[in-house]
Amino acid sequence: MNALAFLAGSGFAGRQSALNPAGPQAGRIEDLWWLMFWVCTAVFVLVMLFFIAGMVRGRRARKERGVEAPMSVEPGVERRMMRTIVAAVAATVITLFGLLVASVATGRSISPLRVPEDALTVKVIGHQWWWDFEYQHPEPYRIIRSPNELHIPVGQPVRILTTSADVIHSFWVPNLHGKLDLIPGRTADTWIQADRPGVYRGQCAEFCGHQHAHMGFLVIAEPPERFAAWWERQRQPAPEPATPLQQRGRQVFLSQACPLCHTIQGTDAGSRVGPDLTHLASRRTLAAGTLPNTRGHLGGWIADPQSTKPGNLMPPNPMKSEDLQALLAYLESLR
Amino acid sequence: MKQRPVIDVSELPSVVFGSRAPIWWGVVGLVTIESMGFALLAAAYFYLRGGASEWPPPGVINPPLALTTTALLVLLASSFCMHEAAKAAKRAELGRILRWLIATAGLGYVFLVLRGFEFASMSYEWRSHAYGSIVWVIVGIHTLHILTSAVEKTIFIVLFIRGPVEDKHLTDVATNEVYWHFVSLSWLVFYVILYLEPGFFRP
Amino acid sequence: MSPKSVVIQAEPETPEADLLDEVHHRLEGAWRPEKGFIGWLSEVRHTAIAKRFIVTAFIFFALGGIEALLMRIQLSRPENGLLSPDLYNQLFTMHGTTMMFLFAVPIMEAVGLYLVPLMIGTRELAFPRLINYSYWIYLIGGLLLYSGFFLSMAPDAGWFSYVPLSGPEYSPGKRVDVWAQMITFTEVSGLATSVTLIVTIFKQRAPGMSLNRMPLFVWTQLITSLMVVFAMPAVMVSSSLLAMDRLIDTHFFNPGEGGDAILWQHLFWFFGHPEVYIIFLPATGFVSAIIVPFTRRPIFGYNAIVLSLVATSFIGFGLWVHHMFATGLPQLGQSFFTAASIMIAIPSGVQIFCWIATLWGGRIRFRTPMLFVLGFIAIFVAGGLTGVMLAAVPLDLQVHDTFFVVAHFHYVLIGGAVFPLIGAVYFWFPKMTGRMMSERAGKWSFWLLFAGFNLTFFPMYQLGLQGMPRRVYTYLGESGWTDLNRLATLGGLVLTAGVVVFILNALWSLRHGAIAGDNPWDADTLEWETSSPPPSYGFLYLPTVHGRHPLWMPRENQPVVVGLQDNRREVLVTHTLDAEPDHRDIVAGPSIWPFVLALVTGFTFITVIFTPWALPWGIVLAIIPLVCWFWPRSDMGRVILKEKA
Ligand code: HEA
Ligand code: HEA
Ligand code: HEC
Ligand code: CUA
Ligand SMILES: [Cu+2]
Repeated sequence: MNALAFLAGSGFAGRQSALNPAGPQAGRIEDLWWLMFWVCTAVFVLVMLFFIAGMVRGRRARKERGVEAPMSVEPGVERRMMRTIVAAVAATVITLFGLLVASVATGRSISPLRVPEDALTVKVIGHQWWWDFEYQHPEPYRIIRSPNELHIPVGQPVRILTTSADVIHSFWVPNLHGKLDLIPGRTADTWIQADRPGVYRGQCAEFCGHQHAHMGFLVIAEPPERFAAWWERQRQPAPEPATPLQQRGRQVFLSQACPLCHTIQGTDAGSRVGPDLTHLASRRTLAAGTLPNTRGHLGGWIADPQSTKPGNLMPPNPMKSEDLQALLAYLESLR
Repeated sequence: MKQRPVIDVSELPSVVFGSRAPIWWGVVGLVTIESMGFALLAAAYFYLRGGASEWPPPGVINPPLALTTTALLVLLASSFCMHEAAKAAKRAELGRILRWLIATAGLGYVFLVLRGFEFASMSYEWRSHAYGSIVWVIVGIHTLHILTSAVEKTIFIVLFIRGPVEDKHLTDVATNEVYWHFVSLSWLVFYVILYLEPGFFRP
Repeated sequence: MSPKSVVIQAEPETPEADLLDEVHHRLEGAWRPEKGFIGWLSEVRHTAIAKRFIVTAFIFFALGGIEALLMRIQLSRPENGLLSPDLYNQLFTMHGTTMMFLFAVPIMEAVGLYLVPLMIGTRELAFPRLINYSYWIYLIGGLLLYSGFFLSMAPDAGWFSYVPLSGPEYSPGKRVDVWAQMITFTEVSGLATSVTLIVTIFKQRAPGMSLNRMPLFVWTQLITSLMVVFAMPAVMVSSSLLAMDRLIDTHFFNPGEGGDAILWQHLFWFFGHPEVYIIFLPATGFVSAIIVPFTRRPIFGYNAIVLSLVATSFIGFGLWVHHMFATGLPQLGQSFFTAASIMIAIPSGVQIFCWIATLWGGRIRFRTPMLFVLGFIAIFVAGGLTGVMLAAVPLDLQVHDTFFVVAHFHYVLIGGAVFPLIGAVYFWFPKMTGRMMSERAGKWSFWLLFAGFNLTFFPMYQLGLQGMPRRVYTYLGESGWTDLNRLATLGGLVLTAGVVVFILNALWSLRHGAIAGDNPWDADTLEWETSSPPPSYGFLYLPTVHGRHPLWMPRENQPVVVGLQDNRREVLVTHTLDAEPDHRDIVAGPSIWPFVLALVTGFTFITVIFTPWALPWGIVLAIIPLVCWFWPRSDMGRVILKEKA
């Protein structure tokens, strides 16, 4: 399967990696990483040099002096070794203290206290095995939901509030920031910021059951104007079917089991068990970052979700081929 | 013929008390393990309490202090009896050991009856809410300790009546004191945590 | 002690051969195991039980390793359909659980059970029947877990079973109950073993072996056992609370009714972090024991190493939150746990430095056990340093729950514990079996393991940094993780070859190895004084010591202990600090009742999964074997104060 290759063309900003930062926090953490890396490498090399030298010396000593009289040691050598060890321990303490300071300083610079009060706030709600992003707004009618796709304005801090509807998940976009767990019964907060426009992949990082492996999402960082326009579009209810086929598709949707779990604003379907489908066609992926959002994959998903994501919570929906075609036509109109 | 020095230990005793006896260390080990368990349950209690908006939750009625205090005093009294039994054991006075063991076990069973009333007068169950769960489990596990330990004492009593009593049983009785003090003193702590202290802060 | 009762006197050094023979026969009579199958089940000798423990634990290691291989094969290419997510989740849970609870902790204690009495010069452990019980209960726990596996009831919520995923709502069925009860069994076993070891070490050391002359191996066993006593109750409490949430509807971890999911994590890791040092510290004991005879000198910095062990065990209880940084705890608290985690590098460093100094000032023989020690030093330093990286909160937020962590803990677990363990097997195999293991096959196994290990786990660091989460049954091809995963799988095969060579070597040498003699390595501690394998009573005459390296000091004028009765299982009890003789104690002999009690316990905790009523019934049932276990037996030769009425 060639799932995400298509994203490369649409500005997919490199792979999901902690070493390819696109925001201030990931950047600071990367700095800390390289500091740690070089310090620890130096320590390792130093320790190994002494270790190897010790082996070489010990081997020579055996060749020269044999293995008899095991209790005899050379007092001069012992004293020198003692001094070296005291120095090494002192160096260890100093190095560790330095690392501690670096760690705490980095921790402060990325801490949640640093977001302005009026920053854009998104509540992340984890579900087995998909993401719901609820954009907060003082005026309730402007609140929107965007499953599995987190749009953010470039260059602005975004506050992230996490919680979960079922088990513990973890919100993680390596290119932007480290993880924050989604814990039922609690909320926690952090913030992220993308300095370059692009698409960044995120993935659930706390084991959460069968489909933990396929609980991904995309972060789409776009210029503020485009972001605002996106928000406006997402506020709209689903467009009315424009063709008879789409008309029939909506009928199929409402008469099948779909409304038991899904919402399409502007129709009677209003359940929140599964992702909101009001703007399904505007999204790039299906099933939490697992499949590209193409007609073929969509049809396959609806008919048999269990073959791509075994164990996920959407049941198979066998239906006549014409019904499925109509349904697809309708769903593809949901921009 | 060459000579080799030896240490002759044939004159050393084979019954000792207190920290000289391996079994004493065994019992102390057991007590440490269980104290750790109790301490963690207490920590869990305070952790849940820290996360609760109201503690105990509304509608909770705990057993009357008169009942719980009486039970506590009974337990402490039995601890005293056990102390006397251990003292008698160190002096190898079989008759006195038996009498004090009977007193200890008797008070233990009285405590268990009072504990029954204690459970009956709780207005909640283990499945009512997290408060109910932690209180029931703490009280329940403590009850289990008293029960097993009282049965153990009863078995000792049977042994001391029936025989054969060996010298090592003196050490066993003497070390048993440590364990019995542990179960009664741990209840003193939980009595304060569970029954005494929340009452003070409730209107 | 009344010093008068200890008489130092002179006896003929070489008594008539037939006198020795007679002593031998009388001791044999007192310490002989009982015959037949019942006798086999009743066995209490520490050497016999320890061997059962070791063999069983290695079988679990092989099972855990096979599970690991299946996982590695599944991950060797993207979107592999070999294993279903359901099976994969069971496999990593079984792998982690097996390796931690059924292999690593028990085997470290088992080696202690075998060697501690010999090293401190006593005939038997303090509570032999308890050890017998401990073995059976451990075996039952392991069998429970694996019967669950074959009945498709294997746990699948990870080796730390986070709630609510493992709670009644999201893990219906019996899978997690199997896990929770297995924990109970292995922890009861671990606690019983630890208490026995502590008491044995405190009270039964050879005269003259004051605490500051105790072999470092014995120190590590002592400190580890103390850690077990303080840490394991936490996992017993947490697994019991989980079982109650699942079986009788309590609400400890249910946020809807005032419970809390994070409480589980605190309780589990309060045990889970010390657990890793419970695995690691005994391994350092193997290292300290092996390095001495192969460098032909006393260890450098004995006091410093003992202090490091003590420091590690204390600090080890203050680190547990570093497994929970991503839960979003308050920052101040996190800094504290970072500081503590970083601090623990100091005692580890001190130990490493002392070992290197010992090499530096020694005369090294590069035999197989020593190779594993050297391999250990290289790998452990690398793994420990990545632990320091993980302790930094911001960095941990990136690499937590990725393959970076998987790489870290295999470096410290395999490099830090399994390498010394295999070295220890090569080292003590002659003592246990009387035969040497093949040196040629030993070198092969070392190099295969060393190369295979690094090939398997080093790529995982990079995978973690590139964003690969752990516990995923597959990944997308575009992720860019394919090549490194393939490399790791390849390494896993080399590693397996190393393990297989090692196991075959052990099996072959059992029959065909060269005869070892008492002290084939010319080592320094007391276990090498008795014959290989040791006689059923350990030592003909209990030894005494006047230094840290008894066998490297003149033995001619070193007294031996006489006057213990040789017609019953008598041991010498000494003072806790200075090991002066104090009294003679009789340890228990064979009995079937520990086995029966283990069956009753097993039955109780397994049926409790299906009905809570099993608990009261089980307690009542347990009274019978318990009473029989402790009921006086006429053949113990005790002083009777009151005859049977
Ligand atoms: C044998 C087992 C063992 C050992 C010894 C260690 C040792 C250490 N571990 Fe490890 N650890 C595990 C087993 C072990 N660990 C396991 C099993 C897990 C994962 C559990 C799971 O999630 O499944 C884990 C996870 C783990 C985490 C959590 C990661 C996460 O989930 O996000 C952290 C974070 O702080 C950590 C830190 C450390 C540290 C600081 C040490 C230190 O003790 C290391 C100290 C040693 C050295 C540093 C090397 C020697 C020192 C020198 C040569 C001196 C010079 C050094 C300097 C100047 C730096 N470990
Ligand atoms: C001491 C502990 C220990 C040991 C020794 C190992 C050993 C190995 N582990 Fe282990 N591992 C853990 C402890 C350990 N692991 C833990 C705690 C986890 C976390 C689990 C969780 O997330 O819940 C984990 C997770 C873990 C993962 C991550 C799974 C995931 O997150 O998706 C992987 C993946 O590669 C892995 C691989 C391996 C491999 C290849 C070995 C190899 O070293 C194994 C080598 C051994 C063999 C291959 C056996 C060979 C024997 C035979 C073939 C039998 C032959 C028989 C005869 C000849 C008679 N382990
Ligand atoms: C029992 C509940 C349920 C029913 C009925 C159901 N779904 Fe779903 N659906 C889900 C869940 C849960 C998910 C999320 C699955 C995942 O990613 O793990 C989902 C995901 C989807 C997605 C992907 C959404 C995205 O953004 O990734 C589509 C499209 C979809 N469903 C369409 C349908 C249609 C069409 C029907 C009816 C024919 C239907 N579903 C019936 C529960 C249901
Ligand atoms: Cu959600 Cu893993
Ligand atoms: Cu840890």
